[in-house]
Parts: sequence; structure tokens; C-alpha cells
Amino acid sequence: MIPRFAHRRPRSLADAFAAFDAAGGDCAWYAGGTELLAVMKMGFAQFGTLIDLKSVPELGGISADADGALRIGATVTHREIERSPHVLRHLPGLAALEREVANIRVRNTGTLGGNLAFAEPHSDPATFLLACDARVELAGPAGAREMAIDELIVGPLTTSREADELLVAIRVPAPAAGEGRAYAKLAFFERPAASVGVRVRVVDGAIADATVAVGSLTDLPIVLPAAGAALAGLPAEPAALDAGLGAAIAVLGEIDAIPDHNGSADYKRHLAGILLGRAVTQAVEEARAHA
Amino acid sequence: MRETVEISLQVNERAQSLRIEPRETLADVLRDRLGLTGTKVSCDAQVCGACTVLVDGRTVSACTFLAVDADGGAVRTVEGLARDGVLTPLQQAFIDEAAFQCGFCTPGMLMAATALLEENPHPTEDEVKEGLDGNLCRCTGYAPIVAAVLRAAEAGR
Amino acid sequence: MKRVIERGPAPEPIGISVPRRDGIEKVTGAASFTTDLTLPGLAHARLLRSPYAHARIRSIDAEAARRHPGVIAVVTAADLPGVQLEYGHAVADHPLIATGKVRFAGEVVVGVVAEDAATADEALRLIEVDYDPLPYATTVEEALAPGAPVLHEKAGRQGAHRGFEEDITRDHPNVCSTFRQAWGEIEDAFTGAHLVLEGTWHYPMCYAFAMEPYTSVAEWKDGELTVWSSAQHPYMVRDDLAHVFHLPLSAVRVIVPYVGGGYGSKSYTKIEPLTAALALKAGRPVRLALNVDDAILTTRGDGATVQLRSAFDRDGRLLGRQATVRLDSGAYAENSPLVGRKAANRLGGPYRIPALEVTCQVVYTNTAPASSFRGFGAPQVVFAAESQMDEAAEALGLDPLEIRRRNLVERGERPWPKVRGLDAKLADDLALAAAELDWSTPPAPGVGRAVCVSASDAGSEPVTTATLRVHPDGSVTVLCGSTEIGQGSATALAQIAAGEMGVPLEKVRLVQSDTAAVTYDRSTGASRTTTLMGLAIRNAARDVKAQLLEWARESWAGEDAPEPVLEHAGIRVGDRLAGWGEVVRAWFAGDYGEAIGRGYLRKAGETAEMPPFWEVGCVGVEVRVDESTGEIHVEKLVTIGDVGCAVNPQLAEAQDVGAAIMGLGMAMREELIYEDGNLVNGNLYDYRVPRFTDLPELRTVLVERGDGVGVYGAKGGGEGALNPVASAIANAVRRATGARLREAPFTPERVWEALRERDAANGR
Ligand SMILES: Cc1cc2nc3c(=O)[nH]c(=O)nc-3n(C[C@H](O)[C@H](O)[C@H](O)COP(=O)(O)OP(=O)(O)OC[C@H]3O[C@@H](n4cnc5c(N)ncnc54)[C@H](O)[C@@H]3O)c2cc1C
Ligand code: FES
Ligand code: FES
Repeated sequence: MIPRFAHRRPRSLADAFAAFDAAGGDCAWYAGGTELLAVMKMGFAQFGTLIDLKSVPELGGISADADGALRIGATVTHREIERSPHVLRHLPGLAALEREVANIRVRNTGTLGGNLAFAEPHSDPATFLLACDARVELAGPAGAREMAIDELIVGPLTTSREADELLVAIRVPAPAAGEGRAYAKLAFFERPAASVGVRVRVVDGAIADATVAVGSLTDLPIVLPAAGAALAGLPAEPAALDAGLGAAIAVLGEIDAIPDHNGSADYKRHLAGILLGRAVTQAVEEARAHA
Repeated sequence: MRETVEISLQVNERAQSLRIEPRETLADVLRDRLGLTGTKVSCDAQVCGACTVLVDGRTVSACTFLAVDADGGAVRTVEGLARDGVLTPLQQAFIDEAAFQCGFCTPGMLMAATALLEENPHPTEDEVKEGLDGNLCRCTGYAPIVAAVLRAAEAGR
Repeated sequence: MKRVIERGPAPEPIGISVPRRDGIEKVTGAASFTTDLTLPGLAHARLLRSPYAHARIRSIDAEAARRHPGVIAVVTAADLPGVQLEYGHAVADHPLIATGKVRFAGEVVVGVVAEDAATADEALRLIEVDYDPLPYATTVEEALAPGAPVLHEKAGRQGAHRGFEEDITRDHPNVCSTFRQAWGEIEDAFTGAHLVLEGTWHYPMCYAFAMEPYTSVAEWKDGELTVWSSAQHPYMVRDDLAHVFHLPLSAVRVIVPYVGGGYGSKSYTKIEPLTAALALKAGRPVRLALNVDDAILTTRGDGATVQLRSAFDRDGRLLGRQATVRLDSGAYAENSPLVGRKAANRLGGPYRIPALEVTCQVVYTNTAPASSFRGFGAPQVVFAAESQMDEAAEALGLDPLEIRRRNLVERGERPWPKVRGLDAKLADDLALAAAELDWSTPPAPGVGRAVCVSASDAGSEPVTTATLRVHPDGSVTVLCGSTEIGQGSATALAQIAAGEMGVPLEKVRLVQSDTAAVTYDRSTGASRTTTLMGLAIRNAARDVKAQLLEWARESWAGEDAPEPVLEHAGIRVGDRLAGWGEVVRAWFAGDYGEAIGRGYLRKAGETAEMPPFWEVGCVGVEVRVDESTGEIHVEKLVTIGDVGCAVNPQLAEAQDVGAAIMGLGMAMREELIYEDGNLVNGNLYDYRVPRFTDLPELRTVLVERGDGVGVYGAKGGGEGALNPVASAIANAVRRATGARLREAPFTPERVWEALRERDAANGR
């Protein structure tokens, strides 16, 4: 049973903040409710008021600029992202990732903003968007600001968002020339066992620079600069890549992974290494297409 | 502090206006207020799909979907599939292929498959499996359900 | 689906895949389950459960809850004087609500009845329970360790159903029962052996996940009790309720609407006594509907450790088997003593073993109680036994098929003394499975195949009745206590009645599972319904036909009247065939009345020998292993459904497929995990059952050799295809990779570990 609450449906950002103010803080932003209602049902949280963000027009919609930079509204659902022509064109890795999130019903209602704001340690989009250097736009009664994903997600189920602030949109930069971005995960149960997001820039047939993000191993998705650095200089050829990944995999081998029902810390690190190989291969392929 | 709200929605093409508490799920409203007990609740956690109904053409988990979110919308449930006692090709295919045993997953399964076929009238076997992967059935081992959906697609050709 | 038919003809519609009779209801949402029921004045119950694995209850303060608006009753054990709190099928050790102490995290401590479930939920939060935590044992090792905390200070009373006296020896306070099965000279077998293999296998605790969680509605009227419940065995529930509330059996009525999945998990009594107790205190009809998180704490399958030693001669013939099986049966006996017996029996199974010695201990632990679950002890022990058969084949350089062939008992041969001879040709089934897998063509590198078999002494006690009513228009009503749990009994039993009476199926109506309206059936489980209720219905048909013949004689007697002769679909009087209805009308001399046929089945005659039938399993798989991650991909799954006579082939096939996929789930992912005294994956997020995308390529062969005890040689199905699945996958993985899996489920990490062990053993 979901504990009793009042329901507000603001029609604008200003309305939303007014509703928050009126509720005197005993309230939560509510988007798809796929996490929030579940948590309330289990008795882990209770709020006097839920403020529905789906009716706030400023939070919806996906747009792309001429270069391919994307702006995804916080209330856009997983399913909308997976089918968006903009996303399919400019960030196909995200569309592919979204197709594998949860089940179709959760994707039909769950939103990207809700996923990031909840900061569940196994979040797929958070890990990939981290590798893509995405930024999050926030707004509150005191004004707007923006930040990187790792500035937003600071711990398990913890963000640096102020209570009265909300996520407005997620911005993903356009791919630079020769850039490719890919994501690989393994899931044996409902949530991933391990996942890796990779961004590479290929110049003259070799990886010039790279970002590696790892999800589900620790209690929040992390970027491993040393792993990115270890990829730099590798020839962008499948055989050479396979042979040259060792140093980057070794960096993943140092992660202080949390054992869970998917397996031990060792096994999860091992999986991350396998996934790194898969993601790099795909990212390089995409980079070649962008060259 | 027992707030209630008025919602108006179409359920199986029939207009309904109800005064409900915001915390009521769509499954609660369908089952307890409208007597549409075809929609089942099993896991109550958005995993099994027993509660699948369509809201404006999209599948949702009615167990964890607020009825207020269906305000102004059109809801379809298993009770709305057959018209004047005539089964849809999908329902008939479920019978022909014995695509159910206990039948507890069946209402949700039918709604998920209905949405799948409306979007993709001629799915491949893999598309059926992928598309229905979020609906669990503990009895059939799935094979007859896949066969039924493919048969219904064939019938709709 | 392929069919192999080597049986005599059966009258239509027996043997035909008629559409399920519950079809229209189930595809339109009209089918009514217990959860859909409402009654005037219905109140709703919620339960407070223990957070501790083992604790004494010092006090319960429920005053605030009692005062909460909308609350009708708050019930603890102290509120139920005069109620016999402990019930149990084998051992009456299970209080319907905690009495003084809790023995697992999740045990029910308080029940609240309110106007609606939400109010009851609110009231639960107002209850304070003061616990005195005790040391706990959540594994068999912990429970049997010296100085282990004792769960039950007193031995449980003998339960409602006798027959476990010799098992309940209490050689350790945490051992609920011990069953020993032995024959032959075991010492000699091992001394003279060419090859002795030894190993230990682990099978997990599993959750049946019937999609409809346990739900009951109870109503008292004038001291009589009516309970609607999602129960497989309404008569067993009736018996327990009568006992708990000191009522005559006739004062208890148990009604079972459609059941949303059972798989054994709804066998015997679950929440019915508690619901009835809540209704008694509330003075109102009460509905108790569990959710999945509660259901998972109500019943599970027994986890098992199987230590198995086998002796072989140089030709691969089994000389002896010795085993110790320990079942993790949770806090209460439930049906585990019987599971333990069956586990011991099913270790011998389909092979000719000159000497065997099995000890099976059913051990209490501070975990949710285990009870019946599809396969019933077989999946646990067949995993070990069939794995070891492949190990022996490997050690002796024999083909895994060949070693099995050399050891399988023949049809008619008794697997062990004093039991019914095997009623199947397992060697032929094995050959069919091998053919479906293309056994003779070597698989691609990295791919492995295996075929495994099992034989279960199935059917349970053959105690069953049926009533068959013939109406003046010739239509027929059959009353039977079997429940429709999805297996299709409503269809198959009606087919049997129609076939036996020679009337069209449309003229047969089957009324099921209401203890006040239909006659006794022991249970719907152990794959027995089509076979045993089928026989009871046949007996009822014979009985009514004999009466009708008598009636024809009486009605149409006369000087030169021809002698009436019984035929399949009526009575021949001279050159005229009188239908059954006509005979009824003639006897009552009008267009009214009816004839009543009684069908009894007991341990006598054709069903004197136990088991009533053997349920055999024969499964083949082909797997590919991703060695980098340890993921197993089961690419092909073959089941041989050896059912004697498929009364409805489509339904028989459906049972095989459903069982095999359930077996796949248990082999691959399903496992309940306890940490620090608590179940940590008690929800469907973390407990993963098979999904559409796990479905391998399936091949089913239905085999009908008419060799069962049932009508036209029918025998049970629906569990057999589950039992050998784990061993088949483990053996196929071994053949694909060289790694041996001894612990189910085969999670990718376990496979990866096994691969690393293989590498270490190979010096890599
Ligand atoms: C069965 C299941 C399986 C899942 N599997 C996966 C998976 O494989 N991978 C994965 O990544 N995720 C998975 N998820 C998580 C899923 O992606 C999220 O539930 C969903 O995206 C959350 O969005 P929502 O709109 O429903 O959020 P809500 O439940 O509405 O909100 C979640 C939280 O975010 C807050 N919030 C919502 N929107 C905003 C906003 N715009 N600004 C500020 N705060 C906000 C809410 O107050 C709440 O605290 C799964 C979920 C379920 C139920
Ligand atoms: S009941 Fe809603 S998804 Fe399971
Ligand atoms: S038919 Fe029983 S769960 Fe699907």
C-alpha cells in the first residue's frame, strides 16, 4: 500500500516551485514514479505531497543542434529516448542502452531525470552519460545551474541537488571528429552486474584520448582517468586493441568492487575488463564512422 | 488529511468519472472500484507484468501506476479485448495454442502482446520474445505464448 | 511436437487435443480466482512478521493498533484460547501464529483485521513487539553443529496424517525426521568395485513463484466455517481446519476457485487456519491476500546437500550406491518429511542397483519453511546421481548413453524390492532424446550435449472418489475434488468422462473442488490427477452403467422382451440402442430423475501396489559456454514426455515444456539466499525466474506406450521433465568445457570459478 499523499500537477516550472513551497518541504518531485512509488510502497519513504513533473512543459522534449549535441528533457521516458531520431542519429549507444533498461512498462513511464535523480548505483544511463561528459541542467527557486554527472551523483541514492531543485535537462556534447561512444553491460538479474561506458577519439588510426566509466561495481558510477590514459595510443584496429587492452584492464582490476549476488569483487572486476573490451571495440567502430 | 481528486477517463471505451485518493493505483481502481478483476496483481513491483494494461496505447504496470496519471486518458484492459463476445485473433490464438495454464499471467500477457502487435503487426519470433520479455509466466515455459502471438500475427495478415 | 504411439485405441475425445475448457474465461478476464472474490461485509487482514531469525517474544503491545480507526481486530496467539494452534501434515509443529517464540525471519506474529487493507497496514506500524533475540542457525551445517541453537524444544506431535512414526527419531534436536532406504549388501558392493566415485552436490532452496500469491477468504456462519482458498488440496485443508477449530469435518467447507499456479507450493495447508482465526475474532468474513514478498516467506523448496558414492564394475554396471542427503527444511516440518522420503527413494530411480543405502535427514533451520515443490526431492538428488553417471562414463571411457543403457531397469522390473515394476521403456526414451540432439554427430567446439533420466515413485496415496450423475437428457455432471491449477484437469477429466460414457464432450460438466459439494480426493499433486482421478471417474462411469443396465432390465422387463446389453454409449435393447437419458426417464417413468455413479479408488486391486505409477523424466540439452564471462547458453532442450496415454496431447506437451523451463530456471539462476538470518533476495528483482529470452529451442516427443495404470495406460506427467534438467546442463557444460559444476544454480560466477579450477588442474 502506498501511504497517503496529496497530489499536485503544476503547469510550469514556477508553479512547481510554488507547489514545493506550499508543501513546506514535506514533498517529493514525481515523474514516472517507477522508483518513488516502489520506495513508498515498501515503507522506506513517505511524503505529504507528490508534485508531478510530467505536466511541466519545460522539462520535456528532445532536441539536437546542428553539430549533434543533444538536449534531453528530464521527463523524457526511456522509451522516447530509445526511439528518438535525434538520439538514434547522434548517440546510438544511448538508444541501444535504453532498449535494454528494465522492461517495456518501466521504460514507458520511467524518465531519464528520475533515473539520474534517484542515483541508483546500477544506473545504466548514469554510467554511459558519465563517459560521454554529459551535463545536467538544474533549476530551483534560487535560479538555474548546471553540472557534470559526477558532480550530481555523489553517493548511492545521493545527489548534490538541493531539495527544492529539480533536473531540467541532460545535455550531451556533440561528438568531436573521430569520436565514438559506446556502452556494454552484463545483467544476470534485474539490474546490471557490471557495465562500462567508453568514449574514444581516434586520430590517424590510433586512440588519441579516451574516457572510461564503470558502473555497478561500486556504489556509484565512476570515471577511471588512468584507464582512459592507458587506452591512449592504442591502434584503432580490432586485433591490436585486443592485444593492447591489458593496461586499461589492469586499472579496472584495482577497483574496490562491492560483492553482491552477481559475484565476488574479483569476478565483477573481471567482468568489467571483458566489458571494457566490448565497449572499446564498439566505440572505435563508431569513431571510424565519424572520422 | 484524506485528499481526494476527481478523475475522468475512458476504460475500454466507456467514460468513467471517479473520486479517488491520489495514492490509489490504476490496478486498485480497476479491480476494486470498477470491478474489472481481469487485471491481476502478482509481484506488485513492476517486474512480472500480470497487471499490464494499456494507457493511451502504452503498456504500464497498473500495480505501480497512479490512477491520477490516467486522468483524461484511455485505458484498455483484458475485459475490453473481445467485442460482443467475439474474441480477438490474439485471444483465439491463445486458446488454440494453449498459451496459458493457470491463466494468472494471461490478462497482462494479452495486453502486452496486443500492444506489441499494434506497434509491429508482423513480428519475428525474436521480436516477440524481446517485446514480451518483461511479462513473466511460470506455467507455460513461454513457447506456446510465442506460438500464439505469431499465429495471431499471421491471422491478422 | 512429435508423438510415438504404441498403445491401444481409446474412445474419443480421449487422446484428442480439444481446446481447454477454461479458455474463454481465461482469455477474457472472466476467470475468477480467490483474489477476485468479494463478500458482503468483507474485512481485510495484514500481518506483522518477525524481523528476527530466532527470538523469544517478551511482549506485544497492540493497544494503539486496536484503537486505530477502522481496525476491527488485532490477533496474537494469546487471543486464540481454545484454538489448536499447531497444525501440520506430518508433524504438527507449526503454530498458525507465533506462540512465545519465532523461528524464522518472516514468521507471523500479529494479524490485524480492518475495514480495508490500507488501514490494516497503518495499524501494523503501531504495534510494538519486544523480542529477546536468540542465536540462530540458517544452514544445515550450523543447525547440526555441536551446541547449535535448538529450534523446537519439544518434538512435534504426530500430524494430521499418520505414517511418519518411524522417521521421527530425533537423533539430533534439529533433525525433524530421518528416513533410511537400504537393500543389498552395501559393503560387498564397494569392496569388489572396479571404480568408486564420490562427490558432494548442492541444490538451492527455491521459490515456486506461483503468480497468484496465497490468498484466502474465511467466513463463519452458525459455527460452520467456509474458506475459499488458492489451495491445491481442499480436502487436506479441510482436515487441518477441522482439527485446529475442533469442528466435525462436515462443518468445514473449503472452496477452491481457479488457482493461479501451484507447482506443489499450494499443497497442504498454508494461511487458511490463520485466516479463519482472524475471521473468528473479527466476527466478519476476512480476506487475507499475501503479496509475493510474503508468499516467498510462506513456503519454499528444500535445499539439499547430497553426498553420493557409487561403485561400478569395469563395464560400467552399478554395484552399489551410498548416500547421505540433508535437506534444509526451514523452521517447520510442513511436508518435508515426505520430501525426504521421496528424495531417498529417487536416488535409486531408474537403475538396477544391487545394493543401496541412503540416509536422508530433514533438518530444521531458522529459515522459511520448506515443503512440497514440483519434483519433490527428485531434482535435488537426480542432480547428483545423473552427474555421477556421466563421471563414471568418462572414467570408464563409455558413451554417457551407453552407461545408462547398461544400468536402466527394464519395463516391468522392480527398481527395488516391494515396489511396482517400472512402467516405462526408459532406454527407448533415451534413444529418442539422443536422436533429437543428433547425438551421433559430434558437436562444434565449445558446445556440449547431455541426456539424463530419472524415475520418481509418483501418484501419492491412491485415495480418490468421484461422482458421476446422468441426467434424463443424457448429459452428465461429474463431481470431483481435483483442483484446476492450470494443468488442465478441467479439460482432461471431462474428456475422460465423455470418453468413458460415450457422450459428446459438450454434454459433460465437471464440478471441482468444493468440499461441501463434491466428493473426496486426497490431493492434486504428485502428477496424479489424470491418472488417479481419471480412474475414479472411470469407476464412477462403470458404476452408473451397471445401475443403468439394471434399470433397463427393470423398466423393459417382459415375457419376450430382449435381454438389455451394455454397450459403450448406451444399452442395446433388441435392435435399438437406448441412450443413458432414456434409461433414466424410463426408470423414473417421466422426464426427471437421475442416476448416480460412484467411483472409488483405494490401495487395492490395480492400485494396490505402490507407487501407483512411476513418473519418468528424460531430458536432453545442448549448451554453449561463454568462457570469458561464465555464461551458459542453453541452446536446445529436448523432453520426452512418457505419459502412457496422452488424454489431451497438447496439454501433456504443455506440462513437459513448463516443467522443463522451470527446471532450467532452478538450474541457472534460482536460489533463495540468507545472510545474517534474513532472506536477502526475497523479491522478484533479485530472485530471477526464466523469461521469454531464456527460451532455448525446444523439442518435445510425447510417448504413449499404454503402460501406466490409468485409463488406456495413462500415467502422470508434469514433473518428470524438471528433474533431470540441472544434471543435463552440468554434464553438457562438462563436455563443452571440461569444467564440472556441483552447485546449482549455475550462476556465471560459479561457472567462471569452475573454469578457473579446470585451468588450475590442467596447470594453466
Ligand atoms: C523493475 C525495474 C527495473 C529497472 N531496471 C533498470 C536497469 O536495468 N537500468 C537502469 O538504469 N535503471 C533501471 N531501473 C530504474 C529506472 O530506470 C528508473 O526507475 C526510472 O528511470 C526512474 O524514473 P521515474 O521517472 O520513474 O522516477 P521517479 O520514481 O518518479 O523518481 C525517482 C526519484 O527521482 C526524483 N525525481 C524524479 N524526477 C526528478 C527531476 N526531474 N528532478 C529532480 N528529482 C526528480 C524523485 O523525487 C525520486 O526521488 C529499473 C526500475 C525498475 C522498477
Ligand atoms: S503485479 Fe505489476 S508488474 Fe507484477
Ligand atoms: S499461465 Fe500460469 S503464470 Fe502464465
